[in-house]
Amino acid sequence: MAESAMELVKLRKKIGSKEIIKGLDFEIHKGEVFGFLGPNGAGKTTTIRMMVGLMGITDGDVRILGKSVKSDFKGAIREVGAIVENPEMYPFMTGMQNLKHFARMSPGVTKERIKQVISLVGLENAIKTKVGRYSLGMRQRLGIAQALLHSPSVLILDEPTNGLDPAGIREIRKYIRRLADEDNVAVIISSHLLSEIELMCDRIGVIKNGELIGIQSVHEQQAEEDPERQIRLEVDPVDSALRVLKTHHGIDAGEDGGFITFSAKKSLMPSIVTSLVSGDILVYRVEVSSASLEDKFFDLIGENVIG
Amino acid sequence: MANIFGLIWNEVSKIYIQKSTWIMYIFLAVLIIAVAAITATTDGANKEYGEDWQEELQTENEALTEEMQEEEFLVDMNTQKIEMNQYHMDNGIKPVSYDAWQFVIENAMLSSVISLLTIIVAGGIVANEFRWGTIKQLLIRPISRTVILLSKYIAVLIFALITLAFLLILSWITGALFFGVAGGNPELVIRNSEGIASVTAIGEVISGYGFKLVNLFMMATFAFMISSIFRNSALAIGMAVFLMMAGTSIVQFFADKVWSKFILFANTDLTIYDSQIGPVREEMTMGFSIGVLVVYWIIFILASWLVFTRRDVAGQ
Repeated sequence: MAESAMELVKLRKKIGSKEIIKGLDFEIHKGEVFGFLGPNGAGKTTTIRMMVGLMGITDGDVRILGKSVKSDFKGAIREVGAIVENPEMYPFMTGMQNLKHFARMSPGVTKERIKQVISLVGLENAIKTKVGRYSLGMRQRLGIAQALLHSPSVLILDEPTNGLDPAGIREIRKYIRRLADEDNVAVIISSHLLSEIELMCDRIGVIKNGELIGIQSVHEQQAEEDPERQIRLEVDPVDSALRVLKTHHGIDAGEDGGFITFSAKKSLMPSIVTSLVSGDILVYRVEVSSASLEDKFFDLIGENVIG
Repeated sequence: MANIFGLIWNEVSKIYIQKSTWIMYIFLAVLIIAVAAITATTDGANKEYGEDWQEELQTENEALTEEMQEEEFLVDMNTQKIEMNQYHMDNGIKPVSYDAWQFVIENAMLSSVISLLTIIVAGGIVANEFRWGTIKQLLIRPISRTVILLSKYIAVLIFALITLAFLLILSWITGALFFGVAGGNPELVIRNSEGIASVTAIGEVISGYGFKLVNLFMMATFAFMISSIFRNSALAIGMAVFLMMAGTSIVQFFADKVWSKFILFANTDLTIYDSQIGPVREEMTMGFSIGVLVVYWIIFILASWLVFTRRDVAGQ
């Protein structure tokens, strides 16, 4: 089992009498990219704000490399680099002035390190330009540079793909993968769009109404060679088809507006069709869905993730 | 704690990187030069005294006495002038002509402009971080919120001192160009609550500006408090400037109430104890006023600190 970089322990947040975060309990490992997915208003940003000490913790704790954000804030936050919501920098200062400003706020950031992060995000040419003139993509990159200055063990990016074009998203994905794979950084990425983070994450945790409703490993899903898929059949007569499925294959299929739906492995389909045909059932159509994570999340959330 | 110098450096440089700060300095420079130009063109009574200045003063006094016998309305003014001249003669102090030093002393009134500029900076220094969204970046560093707030407060005070130095130096240079310099530290004769006295120019500059600094310091701290509590620079600047302007009227309005002596503005001008006007209420003393100021200062700082270090930083 990989070493834990960040741990959420029964984390709760109450504002007034309303409980916004209802006991989050999970951990993020070193060298892992963890997606934090949920519809807008699910509590992603509140959770992230508690992780970095911008918001007080009502109950429970966040531990970063074993250090509690509550009792050892300085020790814990030293290991964290973050962009919370937008990559906001001082617009009247150049990229370099901004980086130097934040470098002075963490111990032991050298000039070489500043140069290193600039070249990592490829901002060499724009670093002497005022941030007010930066595009959103450039600001996002400067934000990442700023978050990496003090070589943190945990990098938190809140909606890093917000407002970026596909090329920008691809670029960010590239940095993030490199950080996790080469520098063993734990990266936490929040998003309300599964499609945008699916490709860069190792695991995805889904949050809804302040509760974690599931954690899914992306690699497990891809590693499975022949996953269960949603099958839809248009057959006649329906009731004898249901009987055949039950007796020959042990499948409890459902009926849905003239269609039969069930889940099964793709490799089983030929034998299923053969037994239907030999049972004198007319098969008009066979639909096999391409199983994606998205379906799993629809199942988990019970509604569109995009919400 | 080596870190705090870096933080103060950050805060001060953020003040001076912004164009608006330089516009304030240009405004102040224009004001100083304008005052000098107006003084130079209107002040005709700038008399130079020669080697035998004692005789010159004697004849001047005789002329003044004659003049006030003819014109009754000049009595008050001329008597004062005669007394001043007499003091010069009795104490052997040669009157110096109007010069850079006296221009600097008169410009102590411009310290209210410095108060204004400091209020603008103090009112924005916390609120602007919230407006820019950069407060989040400041607070997720291995530095306590208390130290961040402290570095900002110190930066405001440094700004006030630099601006004050700017006013003094530019006033002196402008004064020297327009009126010349009468000496390194000339002796001046002035009138205060105890009558006529002689003072040195530098001493007069220090006391003149020093007392004005009290008001500046309190109003800047007030603006800083509003800025950190309400995170709104316009509100902070507006309230502080309004109170600075209206403060004396407020005090006058309630002057017959016993509690009026506890109003901040009844105590911010410590020069009242050294002038004929006197404090709002007779029972007040310099020590009392300093005590009231200290209590207000502690309240302002405590309120800023309590709110800034405790409140959640949520979205806009």
